[in-house]
Amino acid sequence: MRLRLTPRRPTFARLALAGLCAGGLALGPRPLTAADRMTIRGNYYREASTRILAPEVILTKDLPDERFTLGAGYMLDAVSSASIAAGAAAVTGGDRVFTEMRHQSTVSAASKLGDNRLAAFFRYSTESDYRSRVGGFAYARDVLQRSGTVSASYSLNYDRVYWIRANIRDLRRWTSTGDDNLLQLHYLNLGYAHALHRTLLGGVNVEAIFAFGPQDNPYRKVLNGLDESHPLKRQRLAPSVYLRWAIPKAHLVIEPRYRYYADDWGIRAHAIDTRFHFRVFRHLLLRLRYRYYTQSAAFFWRDDGVYLPEEVYRTADPKMSAFHSHTPGGQIAFELDPVATRVPALHFLRGASIEATYNHVFQTTRFGDARLGAIAFSMPF
Amino acid sequence: MSPPRPLPPRTRVVVLALLAAIGATQVACVTVRPSERQVLSRPEMDPAKDADEEVWHSHVESAREGAFGGHGAAGGGCGCG
Repeated sequence: MRLRLTPRRPTFARLALAGLCAGGLALGPRPLTAADRMTIRGNYYREASTRILAPEVILTKDLPDERFTLGAGYMLDAVSSASIAAGAAAVTGGDRVFTEMRHQSTVSAASKLGDNRLAAFFRYSTESDYRSRVGGFAYARDVLQRSGTVSASYSLNYDRVYWIRANIRDLRRWTSTGDDNLLQLHYLNLGYAHALHRTLLGGVNVEAIFAFGPQDNPYRKVLNGLDESHPLKRQRLAPSVYLRWAIPKAHLVIEPRYRYYADDWGIRAHAIDTRFHFRVFRHLLLRLRYRYYTQSAAFFWRDDGVYLPEEVYRTADPKMSAFHSHTPGGQIAFELDPVATRVPALHFLRGASIEATYNHVFQTTRFGDARLGAIAFSMPF
Repeated sequence: MSPPRPLPPRTRVVVLALLAAIGATQVACVTVRPSERQVLSRPEMDPAKDADEEVWHSHVESAREGAFGGHGAAGGGCGCG
């Protein structure tokens, strides 16, 4: 049974492209942390009427060393919703819990040769009404006697958007106001990081996305019953800066970040994210976080949700509105080396770690407040 | 030919802040010697350490916010990893 018509659903499929891309180098290859390692993560998201469970497993293997590293990953995105979205009742029959699965697989290859690192990846993601193929590469080079790193990455999404008209067998191509259901997305990330001092690391990134294709929700309608309709083209730019400042005597690292965002849909956004990393004990790390986010509305957003039929662009998507959010959070991480040392049978846990993360999002959109968490276990092999 | 329009105050502040940040990293062409990088090589100083978590946060934020980005720290950055 598919969850389909919640107003939130398409975001996790369709706009994941942006989100996944935003991971930059982390997207697939993780070329800068080559090691034989397995990571298992359980990601969790919950808000008033939507719950997401997203377990994933990530493997990296040096063959035979960091000069060539292969990686593979799989993630299951299980989205459950109890809401009746606009237009949903006709297909789903009313207020029931629906769960939809998205399967995502990634393969990657990376190479580190001297000061140069190169990586490439391919990702395939599928769900009932969306297929996504993403390929990309990344390059990084250490400069200035390895005090700095210049990096660049590029990826291309080649996605097909469908909509289910009456039942799962009645799958139609969704073209929005265009004539094709292809959504292409070019993502570019340029970055530079520099060791500014023996205790201070700083960096800048500029990310850009050019998207062309259907970017609206085929199931969502505005308040007076008209279909949602977003522009087919979107150009997005997000410059950001960050610092990591260590205070060794306090066993503390302070990490402020700032990101500005602008696009040609009229959205301007600011995000300030500050994290405090405490090494409480030798193998125990505590991280506290606070994020503030604010954005303006897209030019076609209407507060009353009512559009005239002759208006080309219409939306009922809350994230097109002006809003702000506060996100406090915490993480605790334990390095398992002491366990591996003290218990001979568990020596294989040397270099392993376990961590738990929780964030609470207080936001002013109709999505309501949200809880965001993860449990992760990582070990070398 | 009309004169160029001045930037809005908020945009001006953002541009100046970015220029200052870029300037700070560029001016700081002083290299930190390898023997002075013990602190920089700690896991909590490594942006790449949180890469998996960043992808998940980025995934969620892109689904709930109109913006994207800010999770793309390139990792390393100090030759100390």
